[in-house]
Amino acid sequence: MLKKILLPTILGILAYGFWISPDFKVIAAGVSIFLFGMLSLEEGFRAFSGGTLEKILQRSTNKLYKSVGFGILSTTIMQSSSLVSVLTISFLGAGLIGLAQGIGIVFGANIGTTTGAWLVAGLGLKVKISAYAMPMLVFGVILIFQKSKSLKGIGYILSGLGFLFLGIHYMKDGFEAFKDTIDLANYAVSGYKGLFLFTGIGVFATVVMQSSHATLVLIITALAAGQISYENALALAIGANIGTTITAILGAMSSNIVGKQLAGAHLIFNGVTGLIAIIFIHQIMYSVDSISAYVGIANDDYALKLAVFHTIFNVIGVVVMIPFIEKLVHFLESVLRDDTSRSNAGFDSARYLNDSVLELPSTAMASIIRETKHLYENAFEIITHGLNLKRSNIVSSMPLDEVIKDGYSKSAIDIDAFYNHKIKGIYGEIIDFSAKAQSGMSTKDIEILYKIKLANRDLVEAVKDTKHLQKNLVKYTNSTNVHIKEQYDHIRKDLAELLRNINIIATTDEDDVILLLLSKAKVHAERHDIITNGTLDKLIREGLITHEMATSLMNDSTYAYDISKNLISMAEVIFSNISTMDLNEEMSMSDNEIKEILEKKDENGNQ
Amino acid sequence: MGINKFIKKVKSTLGLTDYEVEGKKKSLKGLIKKLNTRKKSIVKSLESANKKEKKELNEELEIVVCQIKKGKKILHDLYSDK
Repeated sequence: MLKKILLPTILGILAYGFWISPDFKVIAAGVSIFLFGMLSLEEGFRAFSGGTLEKILQRSTNKLYKSVGFGILSTTIMQSSSLVSVLTISFLGAGLIGLAQGIGIVFGANIGTTTGAWLVAGLGLKVKISAYAMPMLVFGVILIFQKSKSLKGIGYILSGLGFLFLGIHYMKDGFEAFKDTIDLANYAVSGYKGLFLFTGIGVFATVVMQSSHATLVLIITALAAGQISYENALALAIGANIGTTITAILGAMSSNIVGKQLAGAHLIFNGVTGLIAIIFIHQIMYSVDSISAYVGIANDDYALKLAVFHTIFNVIGVVVMIPFIEKLVHFLESVLRDDTSRSNAGFDSARYLNDSVLELPSTAMASIIRETKHLYENAFEIITHGLNLKRSNIVSSMPLDEVIKDGYSKSAIDIDAFYNHKIKGIYGEIIDFSAKAQSGMSTKDIEILYKIKLANRDLVEAVKDTKHLQKNLVKYTNSTNVHIKEQYDHIRKDLAELLRNINIIATTDEDDVILLLLSKAKVHAERHDIITNGTLDKLIREGLITHEMATSLMNDSTYAYDISKNLISMAEVIFSNISTMDLNEEMSMSDNEIKEILEKKDENGNQ
Repeated sequence: MGINKFIKKVKSTLGLTDYEVEGKKKSLKGLIKKLNTRKKSIVKSLESANKKEKKELNEELEIVVCQIKKGKKILHDLYSDK
């Protein structure tokens, strides 16, 4: 209801404003052009976020000082703390960075965003900025129409900067002309009353424009034109800092719980910083005067002094809040908790798939891989229990002969129930999400995504095959016929070895270990195929098992072989480094090479 | 076209053109080095291994030798492509 009224009201007020004051129209157009410039700039940086940005982010956020530094640098370059916040939420959603690192980036972004005030106050008001805007727009638009993604990106950045400069120019002109008709400075309110009132206006303006940058530029140009008092401009800047958290809050709405926690951290940080600035306003103003005098800023250059103020109060905020990051993380994790997975009557659901990660193809891909690993963990548990093995024994270094003796349960487990509770839902969500994520991906990424989808299918197939295998496995491992019991225990042992190796693959970063274990698993899968290795023929020929047993063993051996094949194929995709996926495929052993090794092994065995 | 050429030139000056191939070469060299170290350690372990252990180590050695051979071939192809 409110939404329906809000937009027409804002449009109505603006139209009335344009009617009564042509100068207001120029200022509003300046703000609009500036905001459009920011959108264009964001679009441009998105074009370059297909790998480089993500790599830098992952490498430069492992320590708090690094993540703060990354926040400062990226916001300074991109001139948009909103974009940095949204990307950070996206990375958090994908599980690529932790909440503490995310908070560090947001803290840094708050300092980085102060460079905007310096640029506008130091450059924008002193140089005829519109002279640079026009060529930038022309070059930018030409490049936008190019086919190359990089050229398009450069085009968007250039035209974005052009629009930003043009917007500043219009705002400056508007305020200068406005001064001749109405002097807003007459409405200045002094004291704490004015401080709170203008902080509120700053919050409101930023929430409406969704850009503290635009609010700040508006404040600086109005201040430079003498339309607002210095004290009120400071209060507006404090308000803009609080209002900017709305972008992160909106971005977090489509994110998972960690994204929401980050938005909470952003709100708390900016709120506390604002409160500190309000309480110690006189002390900060005194510091601004001292620093300005020290660096040679004229006493009446209020625009630059505002930039100094903006930087000081944000730096104070970061310095004050840094010692409390751990406590802030604990607080947010206890207040904002994810209860959906637990409340769903034992049905496990996706942990990493949320719309916020769709912002970037790489975060979407990382989320799908993480979710597949989640599916693997569930499948690992079901397969292990289906083979009447204990998960804890598999992941330990217990000898395999002992692992198969220490069974999980005396009766068969209900794999169908496990499948419905722990596999089906997540698998469905992965497939749905992949379809959504695919639309923004490059051809190469789509190929990788296809392999990941196949890996998911392999996992599901492995679980289904375990269900078929379990029926006879329970029957014959308790059989009085030692030969058939021995064969089924062999199957269990071989699969236990495979599961153990896959668990090692899942937990190591050593590429040679992964490669060796996968190759070994492939060789073993072929060697243990009792149909091809002659075991089955021998058992039948010597009358050691009945026909019924032979048929069951033949079928179940095929199921075991398929489980091995599916798990190996899945592991090759999911547990290899995505950047070296091509190389891993090339290094993967072919059927002929496996055959050669098996033949050599037989020769050695016969000798 | 002029801008495209300019960007290409900047990319090649900064060494950004073949970074994927260069990255692949670097990963492969690292992998071959690790496999060679593993090969040496297997050969050393074979000297003091019992019959059962020997069987397993020999299988591992076969795989490692095969992987080294494969890796070297891929590396050779990567260099000859350039």
